[in-house]
This record gives sequence, structure tokens and C-alpha cells, in this order.
Amino acid sequence: MADRSKRLAFLAATIGVAILAALPLGLSAYGVSTGIVYFANIALATAWAFFSGPTRYVSLATAAFVGVGMYTVAVAHVSLNLTVCLALAAIIGFVFALIVGPSTLRLRGVYFVIFTFGLTELMRQVSSWYEINVTNKLNRFITISIDSTTIYEMLLVLAAVAVVGSWHVSTTRLGYALRAIGEDETVARHTGVNATWTKVLVFAIAASMMSLVGGVYALRYPSIDPTVGFSNGWSFQVLIAALLGGPGRPWGPAIGAVLLVLLSDFLVGAFSRYFTIALGVCFVIIVYFIPGGIAPRIEQLYGVLARARQPARSASGARAPQEPPADEATADKVAGSEMREVVPRRRSALHPLMRRLTRSGPKLVVRGGAAPPPGAMLSVHGLRKAFGGLIAVRDLSFDIPAGGVTGLIGPNGSGKTTVLNLITGELQPDAGSILFEGDEIIGARSFEICHARIARTFQLVRVLPGMTTRENVMLGRMFGSDPTGPAAAQSDADTLLDRVDLADRAQLIGSQLTYIDQKRVELARALATRPQLLLLDEWLAGLNPTELKIGIDLIRTIQREGVTVLMVEHVMEAIRALCDHVVVMSAGMKIAEGTAAEVLSDPKVTQVYLGDDDAAA
Amino acid sequence: MFEVVLNGLILGGMYGLIALGLNLQYGVARMLNLSYGEFFTAGAFASFFAITLYHLNPLLGLAASVPVSFAANWLIYRVLLLPLIRRAPNQDALDGDVVLCTFGLLFVFQGFEQVYWGGNVRGYYFLSTPVHFFGARLPANRLLAFACAIILGGVLILVMRKTRFGTALRAIAIDPIAAGLTGIDVFKLSALAFALGGAIVAISGALVSTFIASSASSGIAYTLKALIVIIVGGPGRMAGAIAAGLLLGVAEQVGGYLVDPGLTLAINYAILILVLLIKPTGMFARG
Repeated sequence: MADRSKRLAFLAATIGVAILAALPLGLSAYGVSTGIVYFANIALATAWAFFSGPTRYVSLATAAFVGVGMYTVAVAHVSLNLTVCLALAAIIGFVFALIVGPSTLRLRGVYFVIFTFGLTELMRQVSSWYEINVTNKLNRFITISIDSTTIYEMLLVLAAVAVVGSWHVSTTRLGYALRAIGEDETVARHTGVNATWTKVLVFAIAASMMSLVGGVYALRYPSIDPTVGFSNGWSFQVLIAALLGGPGRPWGPAIGAVLLVLLSDFLVGAFSRYFTIALGVCFVIIVYFIPGGIAPRIEQLYGVLARARQPARSASGARAPQEPPADEATADKVAGSEMREVVPRRRSALHPLMRRLTRSGPKLVVRGGAAPPPGAMLSVHGLRKAFGGLIAVRDLSFDIPAGGVTGLIGPNGSGKTTVLNLITGELQPDAGSILFEGDEIIGARSFEICHARIARTFQLVRVLPGMTTRENVMLGRMFGSDPTGPAAAQSDADTLLDRVDLADRAQLIGSQLTYIDQKRVELARALATRPQLLLLDEWLAGLNPTELKIGIDLIRTIQREGVTVLMVEHVMEAIRALCDHVVVMSAGMKIAEGTAAEVLSDPKVTQVYLGDDDAAA
Repeated sequence: MFEVVLNGLILGGMYGLIALGLNLQYGVARMLNLSYGEFFTAGAFASFFAITLYHLNPLLGLAASVPVSFAANWLIYRVLLLPLIRRAPNQDALDGDVVLCTFGLLFVFQGFEQVYWGGNVRGYYFLSTPVHFFGARLPANRLLAFACAIILGGVLILVMRKTRFGTALRAIAIDPIAAGLTGIDVFKLSALAFALGGAIVAISGALVSTFIASSASSGIAYTLKALIVIIVGGPGRMAGAIAAGLLLGVAEQVGGYLVDPGLTLAINYAILILVLLIKPTGMFARG
């Protein structure tokens, strides 16, 4: 059904584009030039939102890329044919973005905004300086004359490519990676996404489209100078069009662009002298009354209309076995205040898991007898990390035996989470080595460590708030150690969700989940990357006794299936039940190591946990 | 070369002066006000009209522009920005809303100035007599602006460090939520800081108008210059803003002298880029 509606949308779009393409035959010159403005804005706003929508980097560099395209055509058309010029514009825009991208994209928030704005200013000033001092002429004449119908058709194609392309990409791995980066870049990295490369690549693709539009647009002008080419007007107009339409939807920016051009035209006509004031008031109104853009509003409206028509169709819809619309609706309601009421349903869904557990053997295995297989999976040696004067980890060495559950315990502030951050490449140590299956992993980046099959959860739960439960888990499957496409990832994600008992909440978005459910999502996401070594950072903290029991059982099944586990934990009950090997840290150093029973009866350990007095008593 | 550096310092003082107000608005109240520069031009116009229409000392224009700008900015914070703050789910969303909203205000104010005061560049002569200083000739009006920058900056630094009000503002600049938990009325004081920033930019507009002509559309350039100064100096740091202003001024003059005067902006952005890449929290920020 989703496939059919996709095909329908595609068909409608094709027909629409064909009609638009045929229009110039019957349009006046004015109509054609209006079309040019619309298509240029649609293409630019869509390209802008392609990068900035999901990643939430507000870029004001549009004008820089448009200007690069204009100048490429203005310089090259003298000696090369037009097709080559336009190809060059796209390539130069792409390369330019590849060069400035890596440094620019390290910045976030307002800094990025200012930096990209500065880029345009810089380009304008450097190009004026060059034209004045080197070529001695501020203007570059465009000597080929292209009729405006051709420009119209070219921009129509670009606009269509931009909209369809960005819509297509939003359903691919790249699209998911971008969204994950926008939601929480750290999580994306630890789930195997090469965040830097993804950002730079998409930034460059968007830039390439902008340069191409600039290149075509330059053909309208008799001559180009730096204030035309690198005009900040482009950056602002495109930004506002995209925000007006709604950058979260592939077709939102296009709608925004059309509305903005319409609005500007209307205001110029209606208010002429007061045009700027009216435009400003419109912005303020947009901010207050349509935050998030118009596209989501249209979808809402469409949803209301569709629901109004629903009763007639529901009979045929209910027959399809794979479609649980009713379930989804209840799940949506559950997100709100009625959470408590569904708890019994959740429990009953849990039983298969419990049955599976009991089937796989007696519940209480005597761990002492079954020694872990020889050889360490992870071997930490002489690890040291200081933050300024504070030494968080000091000459730490320990091994994680393959196939077992190792506990890493110690009082708050003893450096446990720092150790996990060092293992997963989040932090770089000052000294020491970390061998994973014999290979040094210090210096590897987080996503590479994920690919090497080490996965983690976070102490402060980090579920991607704007993505659904299922998408959160799919991400791990799509970018983990054995990457797949979205379709395969979805079925695997559903299997994992079933395992952590979240199947009925697959469609809820991260921010709607309760604390315990967010923890389950994190675990499923980590498992989806197919790790050999799973690092759990206080995954059992804050659970009630029933949940704790379920959690302990779950970790044990994971270990039985061959995943080695390192758990940082304060819940001693879990340490006793699960760990065959425990490392105790205090003030950055290892103070004890051995079986759970050994270390927990060690006076040094009691002392750091309870203080001198209680230890003596 | 001595004269070049001296000119750079004078120019840098002006940059610092322009940035002080935005530092209160962006550094303390955490609102990136893109219409900031419009109050600069308002201050400049008030002085222009004081001297051209009423033949008064242009600095008397401050009597009108400072209270108006203070009140207008207070209202912007309370009426327009506060609902956005209350609504925003996170800082990213709030930043986006504030940028769009104040960008709209920028258009409103700029349109207003264009309609009622025209699009012409307005300048006048005031204190343009040269002052001799160790062999260098410096215009008196620029020196006046420089002196005011240093005095105003000094007063602000003292207020921030020594008074209860300033301590509260510093707390808000570092962590508004924690500041609220200690009993500081964050919204009330932020509104005051925001309004104070508006008053200060009107003063800087009046002072700068004695030697640089303004037009209705020149405001945004000053907003951006102020923003660069603040980012280089570290948001919320008054001493940082003055120091960064001086640094940029000297770099611009020396760079223009040694390389080419056409590349001053490029030098500005080069410094900004370097600072952002090496120390993104600003050169003079703590830690």
C-alpha cells in the first residue's frame, strides 16, 4: 500500500512536471520569468533543507555557493560550451564545499550560522578585490544569449531533481544517517555512522546543486559582479523559504519557496512603499503562528480529511493481516497519560521471552565451575587519562575474558564511564593501550570501533528523540558491523524489539517512551550493531525489582548467545548474579579484581564504598 | 607604522563599543538579536537630526535615543521573545525562532527608517578637528568614541564584577537554569540586560555617527561586526569584547597597510575563523 501511494505520488509529480515543462509554449515572457524565479527558489530551498533540515545546521552559505556557480559560468563561458560550464559549476561548488566543509562543520549553533555568513562576505570581498586589482574590471559580461524558455526548462529540471532526489535520499541509509546526526551526533557515531564524512558529503551535494542553480541563473544577467554573485539576499531568502515550508519534509521547502515568492510579489503590489515593513511583520507572524513550517500543517489537514473518509474504507483495510491500524492508534494514545493501564498487556507479552529463557537451560548456572574460555577479548594496559589537573584514570590495566560478563564497579567519580569512553573512542587516552582481540584500538574513531564490533549504551539514556523506536534500532543495523539497507534493517529491528519487549511500541517516537523503555531501545540499538563486546553503562540503574529481574535475565541471554559483556554497575545484586569477573576502581585506579564474591568481601572495596568507619565496624 | 597601530586601536575601540550592547543581549540574555544594528542607526539618526534640524549638539540626541531604545528593547524581550522562550523545547529550536523573529524585526525597523527618513546616507561634521598625539594626527571625534568605549567598558566590567546585579547577570550568562534555582529572577534581569544592551548600542550609534555616515540599511553590518567581536572575545565577557575589538581593529589597519586596504573584511573573517577553530568558546573565555 505504501508502495502504491509512492508510485501514485511519483506519477502525479511526473505529470505535473510535464505540464510545467510545456507551459512556456503558452506563457507570456512575464510568465516565463516568474517561473524561473519560482524554480530557482524551489531548487535552492530544497537543496538547503537537504542538508540543513535533518542536521539542523542553519547555513547562510547558500549565496557563497550560488556565487561560485555564477562566477564559474561567467569565467568559463568565454572559452567553453555551456554544458561543460554548468558541469564545471557543479563540480567546483562540490569541491569548494568539500574544502570548507570539514572545518566549518566542526562548529555548531550560532557559530556555524555566523561562520557561513562570513564565508559569503569573504567570497564577495576577495572576488571584488581580485576583480579590481587583477582584472581591473568589476563586471564580467555574459556574452552568450540564451532565451528565457531554455533557462526556464533547465531550472525546472533542477527543481524537480532537487525535490525528487532529496525525497529519495530521505528513505536511504544516507537519509537515516543525516537524521541521526541531527538528533544526537554522539549516538550516531557510536552506532557506526561516519558522521564527519556524511555531513561533509551531503553539504557538498547541496552546494553542488546551489552552484548549478547559480550557474544557470547567471545566464539571465547581462553581467555579473561580486554584489550580484555573492549577495546575502540568496542566503536569507532560501533560509526563510525552507523554514516557512517546513524543512523536515522533502516537499516542504518547495512549498515554502512558492509561498515566499507569492507573498513578496503580493506585498510589493499591495504595500509598495511599506513592503519591507510588511515582509518583516510576516516573518514575525510565521514564527509565532506556524512554527515548524506549513508542510506539517498541510499533512495534519490531510490527515483530518483522510480520517473523515476512513469509515468507508476501514472494512477493506482490516482484512490486510500485516496492517494493524487499530493497534497503532492505541499505541499512540498509550503514549500519553494512560501508560499505567497497559502494563498488564506488556507483562503478558513478556512471557515468551521468559519461556525462551527457561528453555535455554536451568536459570541458575553455577558460574564458578564454567571457566571463561582462555584469552582476553579486550585487554587494557597502563591506561591514563587526565582532565586538566584531575586524573580520571591512572595506570589502569585489566582484561575482559571472552564470552563472560565482566563487572566494572566503584564509587561515583572513580572513572568507570571514562574507561568506557576511552574504549569507544569518545576520548583519547594520554597513555596506555587497549587491545581488542589483539589489535590496538586507541586512535580509532567511535564509528570504527562500532564497526570493529564493540557496542555501548549510555549512562544518561540517549534515545534519538525524534525517531521512532523502530528507527532507533534500525540505525544500529544499518550502520553497525554488518551494514544493510533500510528494508532488511527493519525486519531485524522488529526481531530485536520483540526481544526487548517493545514490539507494541515500535511506532512511538523516542521522546514519548518511558525511562525503562528508552533503556530497552538503547540496548536493542546496541545489539543491532552486532557486537562481540557489549559495554553497558549502568543499564540496570533506576529499575524497580521486577524490571531488574527481567533486565538481569536479558543480559544473561545475550551473554549466552556469545556476546561478551562489560557492565559498569552499582546494583550489586546484578553484579553477584551475572559477573564472573569484577574489576573495582577507586579514584581512577584499580583497587581489586577477581570473582564477585572475592571483591565484594575485600576490605579495600568495602572501605571505598562505605567509608572508613563502616568498614571498621 | 606607529600611526597605523594607533589608528587600529582607535578603530578597535569603536568595534568594542559597538559590541558591548550585543554582549549583554547575546552573551547574558542569550538572545541573538539581529535587529540590534537598527538601534545603532536609530542612535545615529537621532544625533543627525539634533544637529541638522535643531542645531543642537549631536550628543544631545542621546537624550531621546537612549530611553527610547532602552524601552523598545525591553518590550522586544518581554513581549516578543519571552513567549518564544517559554515555548521552545530546546536551545536549538529557540535560537532558530529568535533569529527568524528578530530578522523580521530588522525588516520592520529598516522599512520604517527607509519610509520616514529616506534611504540616503546621512552624515555631518562634528569635532572633526585633528588632535596631535606623539606626532600622529588623530581626529577628535574618533578619540571621543574611543574614550567612551574604554569608560563604558570599564564601568560595565566593574558592574559585572562588583555589584549584586552584575553577579546575577554573570550567573545567568553561565547557566540560566541554575541561576533561577538560586533565587535570581532570570527573566526580569535578562530583560533588563537586553534593554541595557539596546541603550548602549544607541550611545555607540550616536558616537560613531560623528565620524561615519549612516543610512537606513547600514544597521546589519554593525550587528555582524559586533557579533564577530563577541565571538572572538567570548560571549558574556565585557573585557573580552573590548580586547577583541582592539585586536580586530589593529589587525584590520595593519593588514590593510601591509597587504591591501580592500581586504580588511577578509582579515576580520580570517581571525574569526582561526578563533572558532582553535578555541570555539572565544579567546578570552574561561577554561
